[in-house]
Amino acid sequence: MNDETKSNCPARTDGEPTATRAAVPMLIFVAMLLLLFLGAVYFDHHSGWFDAKVYSPYVSAEQLELYQPKSGAAAAAAQGRKVYETVCGICHGVDGMGKPNQAPPLAGSEWVNAPGFHRLAQIPLLGLNGSLQVEGRDWNLNMAPMGAALSDADLAAVITYIRTSWGNKAGAVSADDVKAIRAVVAGHPAVTGAQLKDLPE
Amino acid sequence: MKNGFSVFMAAFIALGLSWCGFVLGPVQQLGTAKQTTVLNSSDIYPIQRPGDATLGLQVYRANGCAACHTEQVRQDGVVCEVALRNAGKNPVVVSNLVSTLKLADLTKDEADAVSDKITAAGGSTEIQIIPAGTDITRGWGVRRSVEADFLYDYPVQAGSLRAGPDLANVGARLPDLNWQLVHLYAPSALVKNSAMPPFRFLFELRKVGAASSPDALQFPKDFPPPAGFEVVPTPEAKEIAAYLLSLKADAPLYEAPFTPVMTKP
Repeated sequence: MNDETKSNCPARTDGEPTATRAAVPMLIFVAMLLLLFLGAVYFDHHSGWFDAKVYSPYVSAEQLELYQPKSGAAAAAAQGRKVYETVCGICHGVDGMGKPNQAPPLAGSEWVNAPGFHRLAQIPLLGLNGSLQVEGRDWNLNMAPMGAALSDADLAAVITYIRTSWGNKAGAVSADDVKAIRAVVAGHPAVTGAQLKDLPE
Repeated sequence: MKNGFSVFMAAFIALGLSWCGFVLGPVQQLGTAKQTTVLNSSDIYPIQRPGDATLGLQVYRANGCAACHTEQVRQDGVVCEVALRNAGKNPVVVSNLVSTLKLADLTKDEADAVSDKITAAGGSTEIQIIPAGTDITRGWGVRRSVEADFLYDYPVQAGSLRAGPDLANVGARLPDLNWQLVHLYAPSALVKNSAMPPFRFLFELRKVGAASSPDALQFPKDFPPPAGFEVVPTPEAKEIAAYLLSLKADAPLYEAPFTPVMTKP
């Protein structure tokens, strides 16, 4: 071993090197705390608290809830469809075609497509009994007041849905209209087919 | 190695925590994912792909389509627009008010405030939720892709590189079966300067017999097949085309809401 290699050897070769008790610079603590803070802020803004339903660009479940389309014609139509399929669709069919010997079709029905809605609105509010001609066929009906328990908004939505779906082209009905009709007909017995013809549209 | 135990524990904890984050957490979150319903509707989403489309996923996978195509639409933001539905009893007052207000490119809070102002004046409004982003501007989708879009796909062909366009919504964008088949046979016949390689081995070039096959491809005029021949898709080609046509991620969902454009009945 020549002198040059010898001088490159560490001076102490006994045992592993150990750290002394020198203090860690304060700056490192400050930098780490700052990074932790920034990380927490980022986490707060972007994690959505690991909610499976929250995707970017939404940052929290509350914000996602805020952005749900709730108002407007589209939402009313969707609500009408929902109510129709749970309440009316069982007999009248989700396609509005009715059921033989049980419920007449709503699609294309002259009672649904009447210019006014006052007569139509009384059927779910009061029920309908007796014989009635729909689309040129005779029906013997025994419908319960299915809409009496619905809210004004739901009933308006479902009547609007019936009047604008499956090729029907009658207009929309508002919750206020339904409220007014409900107040007028409150306490009346079920409508019969014969009475229905004489009611104003 | 006098700290062997500590080193082992440190490595164990580090790997264990990343396993929890990358495997356990996602499985807990999405492992029990089920069908859901379309927003404001009782329609089920997603519906299981048809049988040939399910087989087509395996053809898509076997041909490495996911190497160049993604199936994930990105969404950078969401904007609201306030639309006037009814001017009410004082149309002049309402329309004067509306002309002073900013109606587009709003946040939900701003849109609610604008809507309240118009409602106070007697009009009625509708707030429209519109997803925004470069992918959506390109027409690749109407909203971002979410986990429900992939519920029945195994393995999920999300892809990570876009040498070609995103296919998350291709069944809604290009719903023509013949177009899809011709495009697989000869991409450049339909898309100028297409970088996609032709997948001719999925087709059979054969002599027209007594009558041409009902499956034979209908080519554009400037790309006719050799005279007396017709191009007939193999079962694999039909399956992958069925899969492509089944890629429709365009239903509004709770986790990716938007106001659908109402089609008039």
